[in-house]
Amino acid sequence: MAPLVQVEQLEKRFGEVRALDRVSFDVDAGEWIAIMGPSGSGKTTLINILGGLDHPSAGRVVVDGLDIGNLGERELTRYRADKIGFVFQQFHLVPYLTALENVMLAQYFHSITDEKEAAEALARVGLGDRLRHVPAELSGGEQQRVAIARALINQPKVILADEPTGNLDEANEAVVLKLLRDLHDAGHTILVVTHSHAIGNLADRRVELEHGRLARISVPSLAKE
Amino acid sequence: MASRSMFFRILWKLLGASRGRLAVALIALTSGAAICSALLNVNLDAERKLTQEFRTLGSNVVIAPPAGGGDAALADASVLDRIAALRLPRIVAAAPYLYVAANSGSQPVILAGTWFDQVAKMNSWWKLEGGWVSSRDDREHCLVGFTAARQLGLAPGSSVQLRSGDRAISLTVAGIVTTGGAEDNQILTNLDSAQALAGLSGRVSLVQLSVSGTPPEIVAVTRTLAENLPGLDVRPVRQIAAAEGTILGRIRGLIFWTIALILVLSMLGVLASMAALAMERRRDVGLMKALGGTVPRIMRLFLAEAGTLGAAGGLLGFLVGVVLARWIGERVFGVVISARLEVLPITIALTVGVALAGAFPLRLLGRVRPAEILRGE
Repeated sequence: MAPLVQVEQLEKRFGEVRALDRVSFDVDAGEWIAIMGPSGSGKTTLINILGGLDHPSAGRVVVDGLDIGNLGERELTRYRADKIGFVFQQFHLVPYLTALENVMLAQYFHSITDEKEAAEALARVGLGDRLRHVPAELSGGEQQRVAIARALINQPKVILADEPTGNLDEANEAVVLKLLRDLHDAGHTILVVTHSHAIGNLADRRVELEHGRLARISVPSLAKE
Repeated sequence: MASRSMFFRILWKLLGASRGRLAVALIALTSGAAICSALLNVNLDAERKLTQEFRTLGSNVVIAPPAGGGDAALADASVLDRIAALRLPRIVAAAPYLYVAANSGSQPVILAGTWFDQVAKMNSWWKLEGGWVSSRDDREHCLVGFTAARQLGLAPGSSVQLRSGDRAISLTVAGIVTTGGAEDNQILTNLDSAQALAGLSGRVSLVQLSVSGTPPEIVAVTRTLAENLPGLDVRPVRQIAAAEGTILGRIRGLIFWTIALILVLSMLGVLASMAALAMERRRDVGLMKALGGTVPRIMRLFLAEAGTLGAAGGLLGFLVGVVLARWIGERVFGVVISARLEVLPITIALTVGVALAGAFPLRLLGRVRPAEILRGE
């Protein structure tokens, strides 16, 4: 079976700066990949390209059979709605919408809204009693859980998380990690950008970048042995 | 259906989210709409009131036999009955005139026989010394034009003997009129008296009409009269019609340009608020695009927000404008200007247009690149 995500000789240049330099790797469906590396190594650029938020300068990225380098703006927008679920470090919730409406917003841009389904998604991340709260009334951990519910609501092929615990305290980090682990156990494909080795160790594989190049791909479980 | 309800749900939240900035935009829109509504109300009502007032400034249509006909150049007085039978509501007054060359002693003078009640209706601006001849049937009194009175040495209360051929009448001067026109050289008296003096019973030289309305409406009345009065010339008094048209045109032009200027100023007010709002909304738009929102779908939300604001501003402005129009009407025209419902949709449409034009900065949000916004650039 073909990998769900294929990255081949991916390059991204910002003027003279080469943010990604001939990066290649594959991700199978249901895998949890940790993308790691120091600041400025190209992790966020990689995840932006995978998420259809940025265009590659060269190389190929195929997700679920779609070569996203060949997609126009309109098709990329549809790609993001259909195939990708984003979780950001800054949560990025719409401040004037309630938790429920933030989840429904993703439904709205995908197809049609279903309030009951959105409420169930929030209940699954432990926020069944916070549906009508706006982000300012939620803790950081709760906001990130709303973001996870929103990322999952349209059953995306891939969940892309950029430092999902970067703004959380330990207790909330543990809650979010458990959620990610549950998602992985449920068969979701997850790519997480992280600095944290603890999170990296939970992944099936670690893709490590340095200066925009692929430094190594490792399997944490083997490293432990 | 669910998507439409979500659209209105987001729209409602958007309207509540930036209340301060939206309130500033709403004030700008309401102020602009209020002035537009007031001026449009004034324009519609003032035009009607002005055309009514113009009708007190002399006749604007003359009916006479074709020129160059000698004695035949007199019309039958029954023309007045035929005009009345047409029941044209725009005819404010109709005054017949019979001009007779007469003598007062050795001095020649023109005697004009007419209906004083009709003359009074269309010439309220005439300056009068003494009294008016109040009844159409008053055969004893006359009005004397200012110049004629000086030449004949007449004053209110004087008697004047007029002769034409072997016929004579004696009249008492009720008042001296100053008109600035031909009447200053004439003596005006009852039509029957003039007909008797001239021996022209049932004849008139011409009929002066005062017709209300805009120049095109006056032309329409003239055409109807001409069709129904064959053998007579029906002519609008071009100078008066043109002057009235010019005044109305200038008032209309002044109102149009004032409205245009006010709308541009309102739009600049909205533009300033929306530019600030657009900066606040960049992150939301970046996020919506990341979630798969297409530019038209996102822009529809923001334009609906601006449109709603415009409609609210238009409605509020209309109400304020009605009060303002009343005040302007009383202060400037001395009349009560009533609210015209047809102004409401025009005001709302103009204000929505201004709001959408002022929302131009929000349209630029379509260019936001989500990757840049979401990483905090």
